Amino acid sequence: MTVSAAATTSTAVLPGNSVLRVDHVQLGYWTPDGFTLAVREATFSVAPREKTIVIGPSGCGKSTLLKAVAGFIRPTAGRIEVAGREKLEPGPDRAVVFQEFDQLFPWRTVLDNVAYPLRINGWKRREARERAREFVELTSLDQAADRYPYQLSGGMKQRVAIARALALDPAMLLMDEPFGSLDMLTRARLQQELNGIIERTQTTLLLVTHSMDEALTVGDKVVVLAGSPSTVIEIADVRDVGQPDSPRYAEARAHLRDLLGVFPDEEQLGVGD
Amino acid sequence: MASVTEAPAVLPARPREAGWSRLPVWLRRVILVAALVGLWQAYVAWSEFGGNPLLFASPDDTARAFWEGWRDGSLASATWQTLRILLIGVGIGALIGALFTLFASLSQIGEDILLLLTAILNPLPGVAVLPLALLWFGLSTKAIVFAIANATIWPIAINLTTGFKTVNPTIVAAGRNIGLKGIRLVTDVLAPAALPSAISGLKTAWAFGWRTVVAAELVFGVVGGEGGLGSYINNAKLYLFTPQMFAALLSIAVLGIAFELVFGVLERRTIIRWGMQKS
Repeated sequence: MTVSAAATTSTAVLPGNSVLRVDHVQLGYWTPDGFTLAVREATFSVAPREKTIVIGPSGCGKSTLLKAVAGFIRPTAGRIEVAGREKLEPGPDRAVVFQEFDQLFPWRTVLDNVAYPLRINGWKRREARERAREFVELTSLDQAADRYPYQLSGGMKQRVAIARALALDPAMLLMDEPFGSLDMLTRARLQQELNGIIERTQTTLLLVTHSMDEALTVGDKVVVLAGSPSTVIEIADVRDVGQPDSPRYAEARAHLRDLLGVFPDEEQLGVGD
Repeated sequence: MASVTEAPAVLPARPREAGWSRLPVWLRRVILVAALVGLWQAYVAWSEFGGNPLLFASPDDTARAFWEGWRDGSLASATWQTLRILLIGVGIGALIGALFTLFASLSQIGEDILLLLTAILNPLPGVAVLPLALLWFGLSTKAIVFAIANATIWPIAINLTTGFKTVNPTIVAAGRNIGLKGIRLVTDVLAPAALPSAISGLKTAWAFGWRTVVAAELVFGVVGGEGGLGSYINNAKLYLFTPQMFAALLSIAVLGIAFELVFGVLERRTIIRWGMQKS
């Protein structure tokens, strides 16, 4: 790790100019068997235009954390602040790209899927269409603009979801394992594309994943969640790890692997990776 | 994306289907209908029963009775009467069914009540409530409308409720995320997502209603002054106008096919076009 920040403790100080502040947050959910605590304690912040990756093994509560930031659930303790606001309801200022391909509206074309959220957020019809076209081009979907979602591949559907989210010009973009259901090649390509798009739109990103390579190729900062219920065991700056073939990348990856306790053969199978 | 842009020099053979499937669909249908009429004609020509004009009408006589009936307006007005009662009944049934769905979506007790009423009333054939309706509303169209409404409320309510309950939660989350809530979330996300169930409920309701209205008219004979198709058939039977009975049955069949076509167009323009249902 390039800068291996001291593992966060409850005394961590959150910087002032953050888009997102997650402050001593505890999270859980009800199941038929009772209340399950998913996140025991998480504290971290996201600076403007920073790409933050939350990584952790399956079931560590990272998706629950993202849902809380999106406003779908409330923390049982602690505070989540976005641009200084608390008591979060779901809203377009924290646009979400979900893992599931069927997050698009099947009855709208690609262009309409991007334009419609703009319309309900006060954009005029013509301007919404123009902006939608811009983002459809940005995500290389021009050829598919008039198609319906069922006519698209999984990778293209995720691109539409990214275009839809970014067109809303959110304070931050939230992504919940967006490429988790894609094949390896498509996933690698979309990670590269996402980097380019975020570069151009200067968007603040919070992405949840269990893939170490996704964390290292996309992220500026990695928040490692582990344990059950989980805590933040490390926050690391991975801005300078370079390409996957560089020694620093390999070093950072080995370090992450140790933290997450993944065995090499599990990685191949994609189990817990 | 990976489509062939340059045709190869030698095209591979196009996959062939067997002879019958190669014909266009309209031609296949025309041939089948012609064959059916041919069989009918053969039965009339060669069978003793079929050759008795009091018991059995030939295609020729049926066509003539059909043409006469529509030209002098007797069959047309009977058809219109039946259709009018059916539309009113299904309309009332759909409205009440939608209200039940709303009630069932808002509360657990609403859902329980709907499930219970559906379990009790849905298996009843539409005409079974007719004697009661007769007792309550007298010998009038109201009684038939009541029977039709009862036959249509339950399939519509149960389909709509299932449709709303099975909407993909990710789509609802996406809707809330872009800022939709309350009634807007219902009209813009839940309703279109539940459309396949709504259409299938409406189709079932229509079929139930159609059977109920004709059966009810048959039972009552002339109702409310103006007779529908059921009483038309009944009257034709009284006077042994066999071709007219056949002509009325033909009208019912033609209308049934027409509504299949209407629903087909509706489906192709919506849920099939959107890939929410296979064609």
